[in-house]
Amino acid sequence: MTGPADVIFYVLAALTVGSAIFVATLPNIIYAAVALLFTFCGVAGLYVLVSADFLAATQVLVYVGGILVLIMFAVFLSNRISSVKLSNPVHFRLPAAAICLTLFGVLAYTAISPAFVLKQEITYQPTTARIGELLMTRYLLPFEVASVLLLAALIGAALLSRPDRPDIPRPDMEEPK
Amino acid sequence: MAPISIDAAALLTSVQSIVPEIIVVATAIFVLLLDLAISEEKKHLLCGMGLLGIGVALFSVYALGQGRIEGFSGMIVHDGMGAFFDVVILSACALTFLMATGYSEWEGTHKGEFYSLILLSTSGMMFMAKGTDLMTVFLGLETLSIPIYVLVGFHRNRMSSLEGALKYFLLGAFASGFLLYGIALIYAVTGTTKIPVLATMLYDPRILASPLFLAGTGLLLVGFAFKVSLVPFHMWTPDAYEGAPTVVTAFMSAAVKAAAFAALIRVLLVALPGMQPVLWKVLWGLAVLTMTVGNLSALVQNNVKRLLAYSSIAHAGYILVGLVSGDVLGGQASLFYLLVYAFMNMGAFGVVMLIAQKEDEGYDIANLAGIGFKYPALGALLTLFLISLGGIPPTAGFVGKFYLFSAAVKNGYIWLAVIGVLNSAASIYYYLRMVVYMYMVTPDVEVAVPRPPRILFSMALCASAVVVVVLGIIPRSVLEIAERSVLSLLM
Amino acid sequence: MDFINSHILSLMTFLPLAGAAVILTVPGGRDNLVKTIAAVAAFLPIPLAVQLWFTYDRTVAGVNVASQFQFVEHYSWIPSINVEYFLGADGISMPMIMLTTIISFLAVIGSWNIDKQIKGYMALLLLLETGMMGVFCALDFFLFYVFWEVMLLPMYFLIGIWGGPRREYAAIKFFLYTLLGSILMLIVMLALYFNTTDPETGGHTFNMLHYMQQSTHNGWLQGFDVRILLFLGLFIGFAIKVPLFPFHTWLPDAHVEAPTAISVILAGILLKMGTYGLMRISFPMFPDVTKWFVIPMAILGAINIVYGALCAMAQSDLKKMVAYSSVSHMGFCLLGMAALTPAGMVGAAFQMFSHGMITAMLFFLVGVVYDRAHHRDIDGFGGLAAVVPVYTFFITVAFFASLGLPGFSGFIAEAMIFIGSFGVFRTIVMISASGIIIVAAFHLWALQRVFLGPLNPKYAQLEEINAREIFCLAPLAVMTLILGVYPMPVLNLMNASLIRLVDVVKMVI
Repeated sequence: MTGPADVIFYVLAALTVGSAIFVATLPNIIYAAVALLFTFCGVAGLYVLVSADFLAATQVLVYVGGILVLIMFAVFLSNRISSVKLSNPVHFRLPAAAICLTLFGVLAYTAISPAFVLKQEITYQPTTARIGELLMTRYLLPFEVASVLLLAALIGAALLSRPDRPDIPRPDMEEPK
Repeated sequence: MAPISIDAAALLTSVQSIVPEIIVVATAIFVLLLDLAISEEKKHLLCGMGLLGIGVALFSVYALGQGRIEGFSGMIVHDGMGAFFDVVILSACALTFLMATGYSEWEGTHKGEFYSLILLSTSGMMFMAKGTDLMTVFLGLETLSIPIYVLVGFHRNRMSSLEGALKYFLLGAFASGFLLYGIALIYAVTGTTKIPVLATMLYDPRILASPLFLAGTGLLLVGFAFKVSLVPFHMWTPDAYEGAPTVVTAFMSAAVKAAAFAALIRVLLVALPGMQPVLWKVLWGLAVLTMTVGNLSALVQNNVKRLLAYSSIAHAGYILVGLVSGDVLGGQASLFYLLVYAFMNMGAFGVVMLIAQKEDEGYDIANLAGIGFKYPALGALLTLFLISLGGIPPTAGFVGKFYLFSAAVKNGYIWLAVIGVLNSAASIYYYLRMVVYMYMVTPDVEVAVPRPPRILFSMALCASAVVVVVLGIIPRSVLEIAERSVLSLLM
Repeated sequence: MDFINSHILSLMTFLPLAGAAVILTVPGGRDNLVKTIAAVAAFLPIPLAVQLWFTYDRTVAGVNVASQFQFVEHYSWIPSINVEYFLGADGISMPMIMLTTIISFLAVIGSWNIDKQIKGYMALLLLLETGMMGVFCALDFFLFYVFWEVMLLPMYFLIGIWGGPRREYAAIKFFLYTLLGSILMLIVMLALYFNTTDPETGGHTFNMLHYMQQSTHNGWLQGFDVRILLFLGLFIGFAIKVPLFPFHTWLPDAHVEAPTAISVILAGILLKMGTYGLMRISFPMFPDVTKWFVIPMAILGAINIVYGALCAMAQSDLKKMVAYSSVSHMGFCLLGMAALTPAGMVGAAFQMFSHGMITAMLFFLVGVVYDRAHHRDIDGFGGLAAVVPVYTFFITVAFFASLGLPGFSGFIAEAMIFIGSFGVFRTIVMISASGIIIVAAFHLWALQRVFLGPLNPKYAQLEEINAREIFCLAPLAVMTLILGVYPMPVLNLMNASLIRLVDVVKMVI
């Protein structure tokens, strides 16, 4: 079928993929972050299109509101990151390209293969309540394990970023005078 | 809308099925809080508390037994296999804590976070080993990985530590992505993530042949291969192993491998036996590559930690041989070997840890020169662990390898067994090289002075040695438990 | 007493190990105590061996019939794969068990002057004895393999730590060669395991006797070519140990670097394990392949005889010469076995026993002169007979025994081998006989250069052989002489079994 929904889909998909390409290729990290914003928004739009309202809202709240802002802050706070010429030497361009293209080919082929389990009728209903219920019943364990995971991530982040005790010198990473 | 109805009895059974995990997580949180309450001198209490918690968790595994307890609507199961791996993982964790008593003192890792992260990682491993839903497996994997990334980079002042952590983190994140994408694709074809349900769906040849499913399985496999460091997904291993604080290296080598293999065994033996012809060829190739590349690379290493890292890659290959065999004997052999490997490898790391004065330079192989005679107990222990890793009787390593290769022969993978055995022979060269340094090379300067081990540290080494010798001579009971565990899986 | 009688082989195997454990508990610095414990632990199996000698029934054969094995101990060990702790003795293993007890004890005595890390040395030496004894007693292939490997590490350490200047190289070379052999053996063992069933339980088995009995069944290990491959795997594994050309290159290195007593054990017992393995495992398990393979085996034996002798002649190092003479003498064993006649087979087994004693003497004697002069260069001596007459007497006896002079046990063995094999492959035997001439030549030539002629003034004050060294040599010399005149005590011991072995191989069509 061709209808407005399809048009919107292709527009959103183009937005997502196009911005993602910019994220990967732009040399300036701030521009890249901005391009990432469009990618996230595009994905959120795709969620809306398949009537995953909760996911779409979360996508915007968490990724755009949280993670992207975090990235921006990180970029702003780490002074010198924009002035230092960051250049990673690239080796093995050809083999890497070959592997990536192969992988892309395989995934593209599988993506167009007609094996997806399709839901016949699409019902546009709010999903939030249902998700909440499932998280408390069928998916209780993953929900709880995820909280353990977050706890671990929190401890780890605190540990890595906490300033060292002053009595331990940091020989490799002294501030330039 | 209707209120959520909760079945109290089912919830109780569910909680029962994860009692050991709950105890471990609770201990982790308790240790973290305790850290705030005690003074700098009493930090060793943290380690003691951790050990206590692990002890209780081990007891709870024992109390639960090998019976099958399903929990959380099929998300997790405590069965023989889960119990077996709980024991392996908890033992590795206990050995880590015992060794950390000494290590933390020398290298300043006496921090609540350090112990807490190890425990959280342990809980993730246990979830992964017992998960019967790909979602639990994935979350367990992440819960085990994230603390390990941090722990590898624990020494923020060592470049090698940071390098290892960053490499491990980046590649590990990629691997998680692959795994998750694989799960998503499998879900797209089958509409389920439950491992037992998948098994029943795969009788349908249309699903088996669908490219989507094949790609999903492939990606899943890649994700696991990263975690157990199969060649060619092993690039992070030497750097991460070298950079990590040595206790963490020991922990990673034993426990992460056990957990990832547990999940892999569950997926392969329960869900995917239908894919035998294709998948098993891939696994065959991976096993051969892993053994060969791991051993050949280990031959030229001069850093003991890197050497043991490549040896651990090679061992992943041996264990995979058991999986390629794909029957009860093979699974049993893999289980037995993972248990034995935990003890012998951690024992070897423990001795090396004592001998090395400091991280990085301390692990040069030349540092071992002359140790054998000056410190006979350490020399003898390391020799024992190394010959066990090399698979020479009468050690447990030999029995394990014998089982693995006999499983391969039994199922007609003669060449795999031949290649494995040849690899095992080549590996003896580099294990013996360490022994040569200990006993036959006169040191250039003077013999390194190992750190005096604490009582708990010595206990860890002795316990490992006892396990290696006893399971080498009377492996009977453990082999039977391993067999029952695999059978419990196939029920 | 009952316990001793019913577990005599276990006791002989594990008493040395117990001794090693006791030694490890001795506090450092008490060297004499360590040596004494080692000597006691190595001596204890000898009275047990005497007991075996007197109670062994010489009329039953053993080989492939379980009920005819004696002093059997049979327990389940790893039931899930049917590994058994199965020990027993027959005429093939009896002489080797005797030889092991004697040589090991003498090796401990011969190591009295070791002063570096004596505790570790003696413990490893005793562990080595346990391994050797186990190999000769085991009737379960898995157990056999375990003992075979257990023997490997002590040997590696003994060469690598207490050896000469190039000890690391020699030790690792020895280890890798032997390991390659055992790996081939392991694979063959697995293949045999999955193709054999225990008639009682129906499960797979490692029991060697079941292998032998089922080897004549139809369809056992489908196809002759598979059996040839398996036979070759085993053969190479054992050939490395013997060592047969072209797998012999580890031997001179290992011998030259190893300390005296270790060379004694290496040449006296370890080399025999190769031929023992062929007799115990390869021949009765693969009789059809054995028959197909006799000519190549005989040719290899002849090459060993002639090539070993020629190499020995070219050496200027006395120990290397003796080492190559071992290569030559082990060739006789193979030649005799390949003939598949009773005389040849018995001759080969007798050669194993006799060469064990003679070569032990030779290495002891080389060690004696090396301890005093600190070199072994044949041309560096001269006229020693005048200075050390007693030593000269012993070395002359040993050399004559080694070159096969009538009246010594070596002559009987070689004569039997030639008699047994001449009718089967004439040309090969005639070529081999030329080896005897070369052997005689290089022995006499060496004797002349070292002991006769003008005295090298550097060694005018050379110390005479001492009482401890005589204690090591005298029993061997006396036994060589007695068996040279009256070999029946040993021949009786093995006759029945070896004739059965020949029958087992020959009967197969």
